Amino acid sequence: MKVHGKTSLAVLLCALVLASSVFAGSPSSGRNASVGAPVVSLTDADNMRVQGEQRFRANCGRCHAAPQKFPPRMIGTILRHMRVRATITDEDRRLILFYMTQ
Amino acid sequence: MRVKDNAIKSLLGFIVLYTCGKTVSRRQQRIVLSGLGLFLLLWSPGWIAAQDQDSEKPVPILTGSAGAFSFLTGGHNIIDTQINPVLLVPLGDRWLIEARTEFEGEFQRPPGGGPYGGPVEKHVDYAQIDYIANPYLTITAGRFLTPFGIFNERLYPVWIRSLQPDPLILPIATSPSDGAMFRGGFSINAKTNLNYAMYVSVTSIGIGSVDSDRQVGGRMGFFFPGPRLEVGASWQRTLQDERNNAFGFHMGWQPTKVPLNLRSEFARSFNGSGYWVEGAYRLSQARFWQKAMRRTEVVARMQQFYLGEIGPDGASELDLPGANMREADFGVNYFLRDGLKGIASYGRQFSSAGNANQWSFGIAYRFLVPLSRVGGQP
Repeated sequence: MKVHGKTSLAVLLCALVLASSVFAGSPSSGRNASVGAPVVSLTDADNMRVQGEQRFRANCGRCHAAPQKFPPRMIGTILRHMRVRATITDEDRRLILFYMTQ
Repeated sequence: MRVKDNAIKSLLGFIVLYTCGKTVSRRQQRIVLSGLGLFLLLWSPGWIAAQDQDSEKPVPILTGSAGAFSFLTGGHNIIDTQINPVLLVPLGDRWLIEARTEFEGEFQRPPGGGPYGGPVEKHVDYAQIDYIANPYLTITAGRFLTPFGIFNERLYPVWIRSLQPDPLILPIATSPSDGAMFRGGFSINAKTNLNYAMYVSVTSIGIGSVDSDRQVGGRMGFFFPGPRLEVGASWQRTLQDERNNAFGFHMGWQPTKVPLNLRSEFARSFNGSGYWVEGAYRLSQARFWQKAMRRTEVVARMQQFYLGEIGPDGASELDLPGANMREADFGVNYFLRDGLKGIASYGRQFSSAGNANQWSFGIAYRFLVPLSRVGGQP
């Protein structure tokens, strides 16, 4: 029974990894999707900046006061940390990165 | 880089299967941890150097918080000074090594009088490697903060928390874990984000500052970005000693039109049960003394604790109150500048073991230093 339970747990974890990989087949899941702001037109940039500020206030404000802006290479590290720690979504992370590096 | 990624994936997979698959002896754990340490030591400098060549790549950072506080409880004063450095090392596009250590000195006068003195405690809060597999899944291995409720993972640092005294229920199901964790956050529709964490932890490896329990658990939460409302639940099962379950619920709400931050947690376990509700209001909308008011935050917290089946002595070992207790706290925070704030609070504890006043004063600071060239400000 004990072995059965562990096997089930291992199967469940493998299934989760596989399922998430299948769901991850969206354009945003490319190799560079987790780093760097995308190249966008001016209109898109304005839109992304507004969106980024909204996501910034909604996500970061859940825990702490708004910090000052930091150099882009530091922001990238901080947001990767926050993505893990605060489980912010990949889309939120990209928009916040765009907003914080403009 | 692909070869390096594959090597790390293999190691991570080995650790996950190893921790899930069987009971682990101390010797085996030491071998695995030593291997992991050696691996990181050998491979990290190459990656760090490689990142210096790319102006867009994230850089390693040393951040963390420091604080000095005076806690006066029932006429007994404790000077608390602490520093909590956090090391963040991004590797490639998807990896992150992160570690936090706590150095805390609690100094008090001896019973017969005399100068302040006391021990300085050292803890490794977390030392983990994260692999961002895809937008839905991040795999973590190593020592990590147990995801139970929101305070332990997200609100614990002194520069973040609104009131410096810990919530009474904080020790419930939040001892650090050594093992592996799956977690992530993603949108399930335009109005709702889902976040989750599932983990398995092995028992203590016998080194005092990195003890852990054998346990499994998880947390799931829903965040509604429109109303800025988050609700969630946590569960943990201990796989040693009494083999008990612990349950928790949490919520957070930041109304869009009012600078209010409302948070709450509830926890129920063999060791004890309780809740706290906290509201922090930034006085930025005040029409007088605006320069000072926008830097000021007032806080109130109500909490209650019910002792579990472990009794007063067992509770004391876990830093839980030794009797049923209610507590109301009121505080004020003044943000001197980004990352630096002065704090003051008053609380009243009501307990069958005796009532007491609790005052706290101090200063909290967050530091952040890049460990590589970063270029200019944005």
